[in-house]
Amino acid sequence: MDQQGAGGDAEVPAGLGLTAAEYEQLRSTVDAHHRYAVGEGQCSSLLAQRIHAPPEAVWAVVRRFDCPQVYKHFIRSCALRPDPEAGDALCPGRLREVSVISGLPASTSTERLDLLDDAARVFGFSITGGEHRLRNYRSVTTVSELADPAICTVVLESYVVDVPDGNTEDDTRLFADTVIRLNLQKLKSVAEANAAEAAATTNSVLLPRPAE
Amino acid sequence: MAAAMCVDDEAASAAAESAGVDKLDLGAAAGGKRSVYLMDCAPVWGCASTRGRSAEMEDACAAAPRFADVPVRLLASRRDLDGLGLDAGALRLPAHLFGVFDGHGGAEVANYCRERLQVLLRQELRLLGEDLGQISCDVDMKEHWDELFTGCFQRLDDEVSGQASRLVGAVQESRPVAAENVGSTAVVAVVCSSHVVVANCGDSRAVLCRGKEPVELSIDHKPDRKDERARIEALGGKVIQWNGYRVSGILAMSRSIGDRYLKPFVIPKPEVTVVPRAKDDDCLILASDGLWDVVSNEEACKAARRQIQLWHKNNGVTSSLCDEGDESNDPAAQAAADYLMRLALKKGTEDNITVIVVDLKPRKKAKSNS
Repeated sequence: MDQQGAGGDAEVPAGLGLTAAEYEQLRSTVDAHHRYAVGEGQCSSLLAQRIHAPPEAVWAVVRRFDCPQVYKHFIRSCALRPDPEAGDALCPGRLREVSVISGLPASTSTERLDLLDDAARVFGFSITGGEHRLRNYRSVTTVSELADPAICTVVLESYVVDVPDGNTEDDTRLFADTVIRLNLQKLKSVAEANAAEAAATTNSVLLPRPAE
Repeated sequence: MAAAMCVDDEAASAAAESAGVDKLDLGAAAGGKRSVYLMDCAPVWGCASTRGRSAEMEDACAAAPRFADVPVRLLASRRDLDGLGLDAGALRLPAHLFGVFDGHGGAEVANYCRERLQVLLRQELRLLGEDLGQISCDVDMKEHWDELFTGCFQRLDDEVSGQASRLVGAVQESRPVAAENVGSTAVVAVVCSSHVVVANCGDSRAVLCRGKEPVELSIDHKPDRKDERARIEALGGKVIQWNGYRVSGILAMSRSIGDRYLKPFVIPKPEVTVVPRAKDDDCLILASDGLWDVVSNEEACKAARRQIQLWHKNNGVTSSLCDEGDESNDPAAQAAADYLMRLALKKGTEDNITVIVVDLKPRKKAKSNS
């Protein structure tokens, strides 16, 4: 990703699917969390997903480092590696062991929680091991609320990763983006369903009031 | 009746042998010989399946003896049938269906195919029988089979994705059978007295053993197959070598039922092969890639044929086509399927293994096998 000129108009990255107005509202988030020093033999990508659900409902799903299968495809099981000091707490340094479903060019992935900021709604993890071809993979996901032109939540997910021997940057981005795009679509489905269910619950609680 | 049928079969067999013809006798003639289109065709099969070293079992298989009657016009032209003195409009042959479905990302789609494909196919064959009588021109039979299977597989795929509704219990259901990233191969064979018809989608495979040699009845849908790669790239997709050639670097086959996240690149359209049966047909093998990844077509044919012969040699009198046998697995074919499964395990396959062996060799009562 190229550096934006200081003070210049933001140009929306190609393929992101956001309008210029939307991207402008997200610019500080992108600058703070989705820029990487991409080295030789590496590539990087940024994807976006609009979700019609409150940001806190989306964040509640995204932050589950212990249970990524709630919104990620391709996961057969996930187990947090026990940490006597941390107990159940999700804090940077935690590791999870992910096993992958059949038919994929991967079978396991060891992943480290790098960042969990509930105030800013920023989540980051990196892949530290396992049987797959994604070396030095590092990812950040942010959950932002937009107000213009309409209220909606936008999830941004970005990553940087080594390009494997024998493949091109485009190959690597295609593989990773296909997986992430599918996961973001599932996140949208799950979060919107949760929000609809919560709204229904709230409405039913309010119903008895007119009778009083 | 049984005795008469036996006599007729022996006469037909003797006549064929003395004439030195390779194909089964297609004609009906005075003296009691019967056309291959009128012969009964008992289902003789075995099926073996194991998850092997894999953590999950996602394969499924189906064996449906006498699942439908096939209009004979799907098997021969009106002109040929008229020449044999057979009524082209009315005649239908009992047929058996065998299928192997290798799921990935989960077992839901493979299990759904196992149950549903035979229902759809039976419906289509019944409808087609009603239409064929009014078709005066002779459309190529293979085109009919292509159309039939393509329609069934597409319908199956639409039901899996929730685009077409399906009956669950007594309720119309329109939610997807499985998540976007679950899919399955489907290789199926329709076997009747005169023909074997195979439809394949994905990288499972059907191989016919004929005269001790393998005949490929399906060609694996691998993403690096030149025509498949061209089709995918023409649609804007990409095939990447990522632990083998994969669509978008993810899926190791170019066609499947399900996998809607990779549409329009990965399609459910089957490739169809129609093969007349021949006297030197030994058996038919349908299997998932858990077998074919480690066992060649040649080796599988040789092993299956040998296991069937061995079983009959060790078990004396064989069951006759004339017997009113039950329609469960045949022990000789079962022995062959079991053997192939164990062979694949021994050779170190990592995947689920599913094998169906269909014995195509008519066996006579009280006749020893050389």
